[in-house]
Amino acid sequence: MKRVVFGHSWLPYAFLLPQMAIIVVFFYWPAAEAVRSSFYLEDPFGFGSTFVGLENYTTALTGNEYQRVARFTAWFTVIVTFLSLALALLLAVKADHVLRGASTYKTLLMWVYAVAPPVAGILGILFFDQHIGPLVDLAAFFGWDMKVGVNYNDTAIAMITVSVWKQVPVNFIFFLSGLQSIPRSVREAALIDCQSATRRFFTVTFPLLAPTGFFLLIINITYALFDTFGVVDIMTKNEPANNPVTLVYKVYLDGFRGNDLGGSSAQSVILMVLVLALTVFQFRLIERRVHYT
Amino acid sequence: MIRNLAAAAFLLSSTALSFAQTEITFWHAMGGALGESVNKIAENFNASQSDVKLTPVFKGTYEENLTAGIAAFRAGEQPNIIQVFDAGAATIINAPGAVIAVEDIMTQAGMTFDINAYISGVRGFYAAPDGKMVGMPFNSSAPIMYYNIAALEKAGVTPPKTWEEFEAAAPKLKEAGFIPLAQSHLPWIFTENFHSRHNLPFATNDNGYTGVEGTKLLVNNDAIKTHFTKLVEWKSNGMFEWYGAGWADNQTPFEQEKVAIWLGSSGSFGGLKKSAQFEFGAAPLPFWKSIVGDAQPDGYQSFIGGAALFAMSGKSEEENKAVAKFFEYLTSADVQYQWHKETGYVPITNAAYDAAKADGYYTETPAAEVGITQLNLPAGEFTKGYRMGFYVQIRDVMNREYGKIFTGEATVEDAFKTIEEEGNALLERFAKTAS
Amino acid sequence: MTVAETRSDIVAAAPAVRHQRRISWGAVGDHAILIIGSLIMIVPVVLAFLTSTHDVVTIHREGLQFLPGGEFAKTYGNVLFRSGGFTGEVNGVTMTVNSLILGIGFAVGKIVVSMMAAYAIVYFRFPFGTFAFWMIFTTLLLPLEVRILPSYEIVQSLGLTNTYTGLIVPLIASATGTFFFRQFFKSVPDELVEAARIDGAGPVKFFIDILLPLSQTMIAAMFIIMFVYGWNQYLWPTLITTDEGYFTLVRGIKQILQVWIGSNIPEYGEAMALAILAMLPPVVIVVVFQSWFVKGLTESDK
Repeated sequence: MKRVVFGHSWLPYAFLLPQMAIIVVFFYWPAAEAVRSSFYLEDPFGFGSTFVGLENYTTALTGNEYQRVARFTAWFTVIVTFLSLALALLLAVKADHVLRGASTYKTLLMWVYAVAPPVAGILGILFFDQHIGPLVDLAAFFGWDMKVGVNYNDTAIAMITVSVWKQVPVNFIFFLSGLQSIPRSVREAALIDCQSATRRFFTVTFPLLAPTGFFLLIINITYALFDTFGVVDIMTKNEPANNPVTLVYKVYLDGFRGNDLGGSSAQSVILMVLVLALTVFQFRLIERRVHYT
Repeated sequence: MIRNLAAAAFLLSSTALSFAQTEITFWHAMGGALGESVNKIAENFNASQSDVKLTPVFKGTYEENLTAGIAAFRAGEQPNIIQVFDAGAATIINAPGAVIAVEDIMTQAGMTFDINAYISGVRGFYAAPDGKMVGMPFNSSAPIMYYNIAALEKAGVTPPKTWEEFEAAAPKLKEAGFIPLAQSHLPWIFTENFHSRHNLPFATNDNGYTGVEGTKLLVNNDAIKTHFTKLVEWKSNGMFEWYGAGWADNQTPFEQEKVAIWLGSSGSFGGLKKSAQFEFGAAPLPFWKSIVGDAQPDGYQSFIGGAALFAMSGKSEEENKAVAKFFEYLTSADVQYQWHKETGYVPITNAAYDAAKADGYYTETPAAEVGITQLNLPAGEFTKGYRMGFYVQIRDVMNREYGKIFTGEATVEDAFKTIEEEGNALLERFAKTAS
Repeated sequence: MTVAETRSDIVAAAPAVRHQRRISWGAVGDHAILIIGSLIMIVPVVLAFLTSTHDVVTIHREGLQFLPGGEFAKTYGNVLFRSGGFTGEVNGVTMTVNSLILGIGFAVGKIVVSMMAAYAIVYFRFPFGTFAFWMIFTTLLLPLEVRILPSYEIVQSLGLTNTYTGLIVPLIASATGTFFFRQFFKSVPDELVEAARIDGAGPVKFFIDILLPLSQTMIAAMFIIMFVYGWNQYLWPTLITTDEGYFTLVRGIKQILQVWIGSNIPEYGEAMALAILAMLPPVVIVVVFQSWFVKGLTESDK
């Protein structure tokens, strides 16, 4: 907190008002509404509703399909997070290392940040199209009969590829700036102590990047859980069928496509609890981070 | 904001100017070329009279259109007319007071309404249990068979009328270098219309028409399980291929002349004419002679697919009258014939069908008549249609389980058991929303 | 070239000088990896562009195209200027305008609202201050996606569907910006406030005359990030705008894709062209204002 502050009776409230008004109307109210309607089964037109207690929760949590979606979401999140971080780190280390063209590489590797996920999804369906996709042809060359949209795992691989492609740039930017903030003296000391570049990376650079990495971990998990909606939506072409979808997409499917308001709300609340848990976890990490830096 | 104000100001001034004209809106889900046909109908309607001004608005997919309509209704800003697809019919018809039946809106406006003017296949699907027509069939289609003429000739076979005939012809088509069969919508073609073509019950409570309480799917039956067992067998023999749940993914290989026979919609006709650079023919959807027996040599009629128009309630009498006027215009023989010709959807009235025949349209393009022929086949006890809530999700369950069947993740037996269980659970949930 | 880059070149130069005789293979490897990485980022977009210059039937039958075709003018002309919908009021240009309104409106709104709130939290001590802080902080927990259905219902019941207000304001209801400015304000030296006080400047004057100019770089960085975020919104505009007059470019893509599930040939060329148009402005902004953008992005977590 600031040591020096202004004293004023109503001014701080006036400054806070717009923010508070917006979050109360568009955050707290909807969140409360989601909790309320998760206990009801409602006629979509609003003519009637039945209080069903926890039924919407039990239906979701015990449903085979919901469990399958949850398992996929977990896997998808782990793989997308790991690959996006690993590839970005590799590229950042190399971009930090080269003498010539460093800023050109930097620009070329980061601009995809600005591409919207559904736009990435469109590129994805064209590249992975069963009949005309060049990546499917490439897979066939290696003897892999890839069938995106038919085979569950093949579709998952396509979705992961597109999601990682879209996410590598953000991680790259953070890792590169993390690397560049490592003081020169530390680098020189490391050079003298440690001849092997690989060992140098793991004993000196990697620990110094760990705070950035922890922060990015949370960012990437959030991305994989929520922001990939556009990728999933475009790549399943409105007919999910036996293709993998994420938990957020299921909320959308049941609520907007199927008009099952109660069921969809219950799933929203489950996700809220999940994100809450994730945030507590994030706090722990931030606390640790403070010790690092 | 500014734009809104300007729009409001404009609206105020324009209502003052054109006081006599009633403005009505029509939300639909007809994208692309179909949307242009809808726009043309609206323009012609507006030009044909001066009392009513109709504005059609494209709202996205069928699902999005319905959801938008529901949201608007809850906010009191519903359109006068909304297009709702077959799978969403139960949602809107079971909501008490959301719509005014077509029959009522027409008679209230002082017009005559004769259900016998409509072709028999379209009368029942969007009707109340007592037979009163609630939604007006608009874009009605039937699942039919398209075949590559050269491919069939090369293999020396004729278009199969029954699945037994297909089974005999398929090895020859395969021999000739083609994948004999593909289709574009398993729930619609091989589930809903499978029951209709064979006159098998699809759900209890008269396929769901007599009430939401206790409606149960009857989809876990031997006839359809035999059919899917056959499909799996054909697939492993290279006689059938499934390219996922996407419509176009299954249509494309037919257009690329890899697949000899493709099952699609009668409404696919216009698009195929553009994309298929070879001669193709059309024939009714095959059926199993072993199930239908000898009583019906051509099988039973299929359900109408596509969608219907619903007049939403909560509007002024004047606007309702305007809606009735538009419905009257839309069902006139000329408009229907034009729509039929442009889109491939079937004409919904006998008069329009007769006009097309008299015009020689079917001698010119015989394939265009297949859909309506199929809808005019003999009706059976269970061929009227189906009415089930949360049916969009039930279709999703079917699509998912069928996917599992064809990728070998589930047996036919297990898949249909799951569809029955999950489908019935959804129907039970829907019954609770209605109270 | 920014300060950070220059510094990194110096730092990178250190090992290079030392290993001058042995670096060649390592450097080749580094460049190879970076070139492959850059190609993976660029090639899909280049192919999408080349494909968008071909006609629909070619794309439908043959797939992605590796050479430019002759339909560039026609496809892009169609996408930009051909009016769609019955009212004829929507085309690529109106969608671009809507995307701009969303991107700029969201960025400006978010910056104004969050700067004000952060100022109140950092520079004042008042009852409920901590409570307000926690109320704002909690919004970081739940992204719009998980409360999407009730948010939609509320916007709809307020009659804000198909309005710019309904499109933009609910997106502002999260605290990312507030935290960003809170951290920045905390790093501003206390002496400035004292000096301002001695000069007799009140809180409003201090905010406008001293804090605002100090925050310029931060505001620019925030603007770029928020503009890109707003421009790229997909789920929310998909739900909130059903009136074609309010479609954004990213929303419009979904509309074109609709034909994928129907029985017509998908307008691949136009979908690609729209995708290219939709990514162009944010990409240009990010590339041109790279240093601000990177600064803003990497500082926001501190």
